[in-house]
Amino acid sequence: MTRYLKTAFILFAISAVCTALCAVVNEVTAPMIAANVEKDRIAALEAVSSGLAIGEEGEGNGSDIVSVIPLSDESGAVSAYILELKTTGYGGEMTVIASYRIDGSLMEAKLTTNSETPGLGKKAEESWYMEMFKGLGGDTPLPLSKSDLSADDSAAVSGASITFGGISSALKNGSDYVKSLGGAV
Amino acid sequence: MSHMKELTKGLFKENPTFIIMLGMCPTLSVSTQVSNALGMGAAVIFVLTCSNIFISLLRKIIPDSIRIPSYIVIIASFVTVVEMVMHAFVPAIYEALGVYLPLIVVNCIILGRAEAFAGKNGVLDSALDGIGMGIGFTMSLSFIALIREVLGAGKITLFPVGSFSGTITIPGLSESPIRVVALAAGALLLMGYLKAFFQWKTSRGKKA
Repeated sequence: MTRYLKTAFILFAISAVCTALCAVVNEVTAPMIAANVEKDRIAALEAVSSGLAIGEEGEGNGSDIVSVIPLSDESGAVSAYILELKTTGYGGEMTVIASYRIDGSLMEAKLTTNSETPGLGKKAEESWYMEMFKGLGGDTPLPLSKSDLSADDSAAVSGASITFGGISSALKNGSDYVKSLGGAV
Repeated sequence: MSHMKELTKGLFKENPTFIIMLGMCPTLSVSTQVSNALGMGAAVIFVLTCSNIFISLLRKIIPDSIRIPSYIVIIASFVTVVEMVMHAFVPAIYEALGVYLPLIVVNCIILGRAEAFAGKNGVLDSALDGIGMGIGFTMSLSFIALIREVLGAGKITLFPVGSFSGTITIPGLSESPIRVVALAAGALLLMGYLKAFFQWKTSRGKKA
C-alpha cells in the first residue's frame, strides 16, 4: 500500500511541477498571444476591405458565420460585407475572413487561424489561392469540388482536397448568407 | 573528452535521422521549407535538452513502473512551453509548423533519448546528448528541406532581416520546379537516396 501511495505521490509531484511551469509561461505569453491574434485579425479585415470603410461588427448566424461587418462606400451606403467564417480542414477548425458584394460575389478572402499541413493545406494562406474564388458567388456559382476548377487550379490544390473543400463550402455559405441579407445591415 | 563524445555523436555517427531513423514523421512533413526546418529544429533542441536534464535529475526518484508516463508528462510540458513561447514571439513560424509543433510530444527522438540515455546517465552528459542529438536532427532536417525547396519550388525561404525579404529565388528552377520533390512522395524518395548515401559512407568508413 505504501509503495502505491509513494508512486502516486511522485507522479502527482512531477505533474504539479510541470503544471506550475506551464502556468508561469502562460501568464507571461498569454497577453502577447492575444495581441498577435488581434493584430492578425485587424490586418486580415483591412486586407479584404478593398479600401471601403469598415463598419461596426455584428453577430453572424450563431454557427459557421461568426460575425458580420458592413463595408460602406464614400456616400456612406453599405456596398459590401466582411464575414468571419468557421470551417473545418484536414487539421481541424479553420477561420476564413471574406468580403462579399451585396449580390453575394466574393471580393477578397483570407485564411487566418488553421492547423493545416505545411506545404499542402497551408498553401491556402498564400494570396494566389483565393484568386480562384474571386468574383464568383453572384451570378456564377463558387466552385465546390476540384472538378469545378480549371486544370491549373485543380493541380494547384492537389494533395489538399479537404482544405479546399472546407474553404469552398465556407465561402459558399458566406455568399448565400450575404444574399439573404439583401443589403440590410 | 567523453563529454565531447556525447555532444558530437548525434551529429554524424548516431545521427537521429539518417542513422537511427527516428522522428521520420516531422522530417518528411516539415521539410518543405528551410525556415520551417530551422524553426522545428530549434523547438526540438530546446525540448530535447530540457527534458533530458529534467529526466536525468529525477532518474533516481522516478520508479520504474511509472517511468514512461512521467517522461511523457515532462516532455509534454516542455512542448507546451515551446508552443506558447513560439506563438508569442515568432507567430509566423508557429503558424507554419502547425500541427507538427504539438506533435513533438510523440517525436520518437525525444522519448527515445529519455529512455535510452537520460534515464541512465548524469545531468551533464544528458544535456550534451540532448544538444548534440537536437543539432543533428536540425542539420538533417535543414539539409532535406534545402534540397526539397530548391528543386521543388526553386527558392530558399529563410527569415526576413532588414531589407532582405527572407526568400532567395533561384532563376530557372523557380519558373519550372520539379514539383514532386515538394510533395510527400518526393520527400520519401529523397529520404531513401540520402539514407542509402549515409549507409554507403558508414560501410566505407568501417572497411577502411
